[in-house]
Amino acid sequence: MTAVDLFNERVRLLTAPDWQAGESARAQLTAATDRWVSALAEFAQFPPEGVALVAVGGYGRGDLAPGSDLDLLLLHAPGHDVSALADAMWYPIWDSGTRLDHSVRTVAQARRLAATDLRVMLGLLDARTVVGDDSLTLALRSSALSDWRSLARDRLPQLKEASEQRAKQFGDLAHLLEPDLKDSSGGIRDVVVLRAVAASWVADIPHGLLAAPHEHLLNVRDALHRSEGRGASDRLTLQDQPVVAQLMGMADADELSRGVSSAARAVHYAGEVTWNRVDRVIRLARATGSISSKSTARRLEGSRASGRTPLAEGVVVQDGEVVLSRDADPRTDPVLVLRAAAAAAQAALSLAPHAVQRLANESAPMPTPWPLEARDNLVSLLGAGRNALPVWEALDQVNVWGTLIPEWEVLRSAPQRNALHTYTVDRHLVEAAIEASLLARQVRRPDLLIIGALLHDVGKARGGDHTEIGIEIVQQLAPRMGFDEADSAVLVDMVRHHLLLPDVATRRDLDDPQTIAFVADHVADAQTLELLATLTRADSLATGPAAWSDWKGQLIDTLVQRVRANFGGQPAIAEPTFSNEELAWAGDAHDVDVVLEQRDTATRLVISTPDSVGLMSKTAGVLSLQRLAVRAASTRTSGDRVLAVWTVQPAFGDLPPIERVREDLRRALDGSLDVEKALAQRDSEQRKVSAAPPTVQVVSGASERSTVLEVRAHDAPGLLYRVTAAITAQQVDIGQALVSTLGSEVVDVFYLRSATGEPLGENHAKAVQEAVLRALTG
Amino acid sequence: MKLITAIIKPFKLEDVKSGLEAFGLSGLTVSEASGFGRQGGHTEVYRGAEYTVDLIPKVRIEVLVDDDVVDAVVDVIVASAQTGKIGDGKVWVVPVETVVRVRTGERGSQAL
Repeated sequence: MTAVDLFNERVRLLTAPDWQAGESARAQLTAATDRWVSALAEFAQFPPEGVALVAVGGYGRGDLAPGSDLDLLLLHAPGHDVSALADAMWYPIWDSGTRLDHSVRTVAQARRLAATDLRVMLGLLDARTVVGDDSLTLALRSSALSDWRSLARDRLPQLKEASEQRAKQFGDLAHLLEPDLKDSSGGIRDVVVLRAVAASWVADIPHGLLAAPHEHLLNVRDALHRSEGRGASDRLTLQDQPVVAQLMGMADADELSRGVSSAARAVHYAGEVTWNRVDRVIRLARATGSISSKSTARRLEGSRASGRTPLAEGVVVQDGEVVLSRDADPRTDPVLVLRAAAAAAQAALSLAPHAVQRLANESAPMPTPWPLEARDNLVSLLGAGRNALPVWEALDQVNVWGTLIPEWEVLRSAPQRNALHTYTVDRHLVEAAIEASLLARQVRRPDLLIIGALLHDVGKARGGDHTEIGIEIVQQLAPRMGFDEADSAVLVDMVRHHLLLPDVATRRDLDDPQTIAFVADHVADAQTLELLATLTRADSLATGPAAWSDWKGQLIDTLVQRVRANFGGQPAIAEPTFSNEELAWAGDAHDVDVVLEQRDTATRLVISTPDSVGLMSKTAGVLSLQRLAVRAASTRTSGDRVLAVWTVQPAFGDLPPIERVREDLRRALDGSLDVEKALAQRDSEQRKVSAAPPTVQVVSGASERSTVLEVRAHDAPGLLYRVTAAITAQQVDIGQALVSTLGSEVVDVFYLRSATGEPLGENHAKAVQEAVLRALTG
Repeated sequence: MKLITAIIKPFKLEDVKSGLEAFGLSGLTVSEASGFGRQGGHTEVYRGAEYTVDLIPKVRIEVLVDDDVVDAVVDVIVASAQTGKIGDGKVWVVPVETVVRVRTGERGSQAL
């Protein structure tokens, strides 16, 4: 057959009506392409020695898609003049309209170029002779491979950086509604990159995890190229999806999208696992000067015993990854999965793959309703902002979220056919929760904001009105997650009204008092309004670039301002409340008295002490020294005694003996224990990420007898001590306090009075405000 | 051919859109705009809360039409955007040399 016949055969293959996506279709196309190129070579009188026509990249691998470029390298021995041969090869290919990526080099030239250009290097790893002198290709391949392996320590970090850059530019294949099959993160190019990592011998890749998803993505790309004809791009637009789904023999575009998403998630996760291994090997190799992976692996084993830093109960850091401690058991500790997730995200670390597997396979079912600690840790996880994402994704890979929240299952990778939306439903919700965590300081209940953001679209992907369905789901789900009746009602309202503010702000006349009254009638109170306003912003930011603008923000701000005025201002500040028994007990107690109470899953320390300067900061310091995290606290001064109820949680293990707490407190109050010094001597604080900067506000009009200071911040060990010590240092008395820790977010209210028992003057209040802010940020 | 540009109050967009659809126009471009005319740059007092309004959010609509329907389309926009209060906006018309539909390459009235 002539070259023209063979070209036509290739075209017939590309347009065959009975085409079926799959490896054999790609093999046929590659073989037909080889036959055509070989015929061209024969016509060009291609010499048998000293020159080779080499397929590189996707063509070399046999992954040729209908619209792919032909990646060809004319490889020649030094001293051969091949310019006439190159012309004779390239022109017919150009003339046929086939896209060609061509080069002419010697082995040495190709190696030199590959040394500076990662893409060339990756292409050479797949070099394959089509026609000519195979010994040249072999020489090129083996020298490229040995270069790649010997320089891996420098090149792999570059490759990782390039991949991250690409991920930023092209986004996530799993979560975009119009992704790029090749270049998006989790796409075909990532598989090629991971194979190159494996070829470097630095770290192996989870082959079993990759094969099927890779095959699926290649099939979808083949179908996409066929549907588009020539000039094919790898971007799977909403417009293409129904046609491609049909070519793939799928029911509809949704099935296609879900398939692409789950393949991409698997590739993405394989990437995370692989790069993690690479990082560890390279880190260790830099320390020891060797990069042979076998010996490094042995050394990694050896280092296991050492270098374990506890992070939370049952959770430790090892080699820069979060793993389960030896005595941790998911079978008896159902909250462990959320505690580990929160601890990892808060420390900006990833969960080790084997820990993820164990948590998925062994975790006991979560009790209903969820214990407070579970809810808190979920808020903490999402409260970590952007750092929550890799942890969330790792656990999603093994369907932890669908197990904890069965209503989540149907949302996974669920596409949204809407031009405004960038992400699949589940990713949109996680993004909304993350955006909410960045806005956490704008509300008094960051926990409700974050969970409300996570659930606001939970009714999607089920057919019908997603708001109506979402309301029904959250009515059941919120109490199951352990939210009390009032908080559940707020969460339901957040779902019910999550579109109210943007709808009204952009479609109704804001100058009309009826518009304002309409919103005020629907929104329960100032707190719900505050939550909805912030949710609207988080939701829009998580939707896509077209969904939020200053323009829209201004309209919504105007609406919120006017409705708030209708409610009579900001949500009311809560005051600490105590039971009559507690008050009576405190009155009868003398000296320093501490009682331990267990209420449900919460541990409460009820403390009665004589009033003294800096009492609250000393108590906070003593609790921090005992590694007790303060979840909530209320204090009230009555006469010359102070009653305080502290809800605490041991950071690790069991509670310290109550006698020790009492003794330390006594010593702190009589001055024989220097709390500040003891805290400073304690080992370095845990690293915690802060999603949003702290705010300190003087709340005007909240109390006639005191100045009310509200502190909103990201939780950290010893935080309450620092805040209260800063207040005390300003010669200010803390009369009452209401401390709450909601997940990883702290909202504390202090009722302050001057030494003479008066509210603070304006300047004094300002000085206290600044001092507290310095203590939080400095 | 003419280009009609209208600046209107945001909440009037739906009315204008349905008015234009009823008239038989199939496409328009909408963008977010802000600015002020005679109404702008003042201090508003709303139930005791005082705040300054600098630039007021508006919507900008652009429609390409044939010469013979210009006046009718302008009338539709004005009628559906009117509240009678200050700040209702403005409509203006400018001549257009030609129009090309990018997908097909059609030109002139064909491309509308």
